[in-house]
Amino acid sequence: MVEKYMILSIILFSIGIVGLISRRNIIVIYMSVELLLNAVNLSLIAISADLGDSAAQVISLIVIAIAASEAALFMSLFVVLFRSKGSLDANVFDMLGDKND
Amino acid sequence: MQNDIIFTILALLTIVSSIVMISAHRPIDSALSFIVTLVSIAALFGLVNATFLFAVQIIIYAGAILTLILFIIMFLNIKEENLPDEKYKNWWLLGTSVIVLPFAIILIKLVTMSDISVNNIPSENFGSIHDVGLKLFSQWVLPFELVSIHLLVALIGSVTLSKRGN
Repeated sequence: MVEKYMILSIILFSIGIVGLISRRNIIVIYMSVELLLNAVNLSLIAISADLGDSAAQVISLIVIAIAASEAALFMSLFVVLFRSKGSLDANVFDMLGDKND
Repeated sequence: MQNDIIFTILALLTIVSSIVMISAHRPIDSALSFIVTLVSIAALFGLVNATFLFAVQIIIYAGAILTLILFIIMFLNIKEENLPDEKYKNWWLLGTSVIVLPFAIILIKLVTMSDISVNNIPSENFGSIHDVGLKLFSQWVLPFELVSIHLLVALIGSVTLSKRGN
């Protein structure tokens, strides 16, 4: 069973990386990051069930807490970026290198 | 045997909905299909007796984070001209898949070659809230406290970031 879980976790991680690289919509990029975290959680839970040790479940609980705080930060970032540029395109957000803006 | 059938259905559901998630044009479509992914991942947690993580995954991910995303998509009132015009989106997706595929195949080969299936002895109350909580508050107290500081920093950061007039 644990091998199947690991293979599914690898497939989900690859899909997440493909979405992270190839999309330009920042909301989809954020959801791809969440998919990466979920794939890692899945393999952690499978290993923990296989070993009969619940330490990996604690690790994935902490990962979920970090993902929640990341969600709050990303949401306020979306609001700020959309308010200043009126777009969700990741190519538009280059304010950091531009002094006149 | 029964577990294998359930696993296959859930795995197919997860993979298909995550592919829809990364390839949909409108963000609301990706958010809705991401809910399907998260709920089926929670069901996969339940399949290996991790009942507490099953509940946490449904409450926090599908309940809190996805609702936050849906609310933000609703509040921003995204029109078609606000979205990036990804003319070559399918080519990008295809090209990136070709790049990522060899690494995935190598990893899957490594997993199938190694003998990681160790013992398969589920203990009596494995994955229950008692088991996980005992571990969390005995050996993992320091990461737990650090997570509380991290949440506080994220709270203050998101409030200062979205304040008007800076």
